[in-house]
Amino acid sequence: MHFRIKDGVTLDLLPTKQFKTIGIKVDFVAPLQATAITARALLAQVLETSTAAYPTQTALARELSRLYGASFGISVLKLGTKHVIRLTCSLVDEQYLDNFGDQQALFDQGMALLKEVLFAPLLPNGNFDPTTFTQQRQNLLTAIKSLDDDKQYLANRRLQELLFTGQPTQAMSALGDIHVLNDLSATDILGTYHEMLAHDAVHVAVVGDVDEQRAKAAMADWPLADRAVEADSPYYRWSLRDHVQVGDDEAPVVQAKLNLAYQLPIYRDDPDFMAAVVFNAAFGGTPLSLLFTNVREKASLAYYASSGYSPFTGTLSVQTGIQAENQQRVEAIIAEQLAAVQRGELSEKLLAEVKASLLNARLAALDSPQRRLTGLLNTQLTHLHEPLAAWQEKLAKITVADVTRVAQQVTLQATYCLHGGVQGAE
Amino acid sequence: MLNKKTYDRLGETVYQATLTNGLKVLMVPKAGFHKTFAIMTTDYGAMDNEFVPRGQQQPVRFPDGIAHFLEHKLFEKKDHDAFDLFGKYGASANAFTGFTQTSYLFATTSHLKENLEILLDFVQDPYFTPATVNKEKGIIGQEIQMYDDDPGWQSYFGMIGHLYPKEPLHIDIAGTVDSIDRITADDLYAAYNTFYHPSNMSLVIVGQLDPEETLAWITANQDAKTFAPNEPITRVPSPQAKPADIVADSTRQLTVSRPKVSIGLRGFDTVPAGRDGLRYSVAVSLMFDLLFNDTSDNYLRLYDANVIDDSFGYDFQVQRGAHFAQLAGDTDRPEQFANELSAILADAPAQLAAAKPQFDLVKREAVGRIVGAINSVEGIANQYDGPLFDGATIFDELTILEQLSFDELLAAARDFLAQSRQTVYTILP
Repeated sequence: MHFRIKDGVTLDLLPTKQFKTIGIKVDFVAPLQATAITARALLAQVLETSTAAYPTQTALARELSRLYGASFGISVLKLGTKHVIRLTCSLVDEQYLDNFGDQQALFDQGMALLKEVLFAPLLPNGNFDPTTFTQQRQNLLTAIKSLDDDKQYLANRRLQELLFTGQPTQAMSALGDIHVLNDLSATDILGTYHEMLAHDAVHVAVVGDVDEQRAKAAMADWPLADRAVEADSPYYRWSLRDHVQVGDDEAPVVQAKLNLAYQLPIYRDDPDFMAAVVFNAAFGGTPLSLLFTNVREKASLAYYASSGYSPFTGTLSVQTGIQAENQQRVEAIIAEQLAAVQRGELSEKLLAEVKASLLNARLAALDSPQRRLTGLLNTQLTHLHEPLAAWQEKLAKITVADVTRVAQQVTLQATYCLHGGVQGAE
Repeated sequence: MLNKKTYDRLGETVYQATLTNGLKVLMVPKAGFHKTFAIMTTDYGAMDNEFVPRGQQQPVRFPDGIAHFLEHKLFEKKDHDAFDLFGKYGASANAFTGFTQTSYLFATTSHLKENLEILLDFVQDPYFTPATVNKEKGIIGQEIQMYDDDPGWQSYFGMIGHLYPKEPLHIDIAGTVDSIDRITADDLYAAYNTFYHPSNMSLVIVGQLDPEETLAWITANQDAKTFAPNEPITRVPSPQAKPADIVADSTRQLTVSRPKVSIGLRGFDTVPAGRDGLRYSVAVSLMFDLLFNDTSDNYLRLYDANVIDDSFGYDFQVQRGAHFAQLAGDTDRPEQFANELSAILADAPAQLAAAKPQFDLVKREAVGRIVGAINSVEGIANQYDGPLFDGATIFDELTILEQLSFDELLAAARDFLAQSRQTVYTILP
């Protein structure tokens, strides 16, 4: 069920008795701007820490515990040309609790808490509390730096920087940039906060044993005004480069991380979108895929070798963990797998298997309240609503020729290797 | 034959049966779910590297990492790979090895019967040759090296290694590049024949299923196979470190952005047998919640002093033959981190008495966590610890938690802490 609450504010309700919790998600969606990414990430971190009524993180944590361990968080993500600040909260449905004695249902208390977090943050003297602000800025700084301890993440980040040189919104992580972060003040993010409340598109969603009246009543007193939301494209389009960007770095790693990026200019609204999803699943997106089979199982060159496809940025990426001296062999095997699909050599057997696997994954997602909620953002951004039956029918119709046509649009754009310096990565 | 236990308030029912060959089957139907998750587990893991092979008289010490190696190789058959069989139906399959167990699993939204038969058949039909064993060494070697580059993993295993310096736990579950190089096809058969007897295994299935029908499928599959007679398994007890052998602290250098500190606490007390062991485990976990979770006064004090931050976490686990806690985090003040947390642990009785007003809160939180886990078919299945807690399920755990008193928590805390030994493992940039 989909409702327009105000201009630019929507509510999606997924009523079901399948779960023992009630899940809530609130997305604040803004155009992706390099200057705003870092401030929004910091704002999310500060809002998550405390509120006027719960002025320390302990006070807030105790309230969450009192609500039977309500799991609450605020995260940020990038999707195509959009930046999203996402609040999530999951509450136990009290009909499953022993001796529940509260006056008010946990769902209603949870919605009231989200209202506190969003509309009554800790603002002594009209600005964010200086101690909280400084501490959370420092925490975000160390969080961004610590991300690089994960070498697979680091290799991927460097690949994105290489691929999107000069395109900061895409090169930057959703958490932002440490240099920008250092210069942000409490006043800056107060501005970001007011901007978010006034102008972001707001998508609220609820999954669980809740009816329309109860869901609407729970957010009836949220002070959200009408807002004009631009219906601009969520897709990030970029032009193909003449030659492949190549990069490598030496770092104290035992295993080299070799990552590749390709352009695959098929977006979510493209008639070939489903074929692109199937292509990715066959190429490297599943354990049945060509990359897993040929790089790992046949050549024993890697423990992981996989691909991912983003229909919002038109990119395909490949990740592998290998011995540095095998880089050329691995690149050759990957290139050969792509070339084979481009020549139409995908087997009917593999096609049928990856289609079955995609159907399985789609149905399995229905069993996860979180995935039911997060999956809604795609529809909200693209305005493409595809009921399960229609989706299934589309998937069933994909042929080897469809996948071949998609594969022929895949062009290598960047290659990056993070290695321990053994024989270099020439 | 099919035992049924109903949990009315939760609207859940657990079905249990033990087949004539000894295989324990546990099923939890989940109304409205699309997915079915099945996991077949042997009570055999990385710790069990010295035992009397079935049919022999003398104990044999096997190379480290053999249980994990066997897990990898079980998928490969003479003319096919079991992964591909699951793939035909779109099911996703996987496997993992722990200290005391090895598990094989799949999730599917269709063809449950066919997928169950694939699972039973590939786990019960080993095929190891020198050639296939050698081929796997490259893949597992890369897996080991992947973990070499993972500071969180290094911090965890560094801590465990110091808590269990003489036990097999101090070796990575996957072994080392050198130890796996010595593994032979015959070794794998010896381990397989000893530990993969149905009487040493369980099969847990949760999700969309009909218990009677599903059990009939499993029984028919098992009745068509011949198994060796059920014999007791003789594991050679591993060498045991004494409390005095635990190294108090050690430091290692790695490329990380900030220091990582991991405090380990090894219990030298005896975990009660059966369900009481689960009760003990729940009580000690709740003790750590009271002392260290984000509702505690300690947490806010240390957070505001920049000793801990959002990376801080802790965990208590009980396994066959080992129970330990880990408190870990990234910090710019590693010495203070270790000293402050150690001081809280040393002062636990007084700290717990002071935190008593928060007992109901942390209990509510733990209840919510378990109820949330019951939403997930994997959450239900993975919480089953088989023989360790006498077949207790996540629903039993919830009941235990709801009934737990503060005095019981204090008693368990005293048992654990009084005889525990601590290590501090620090990774510096």
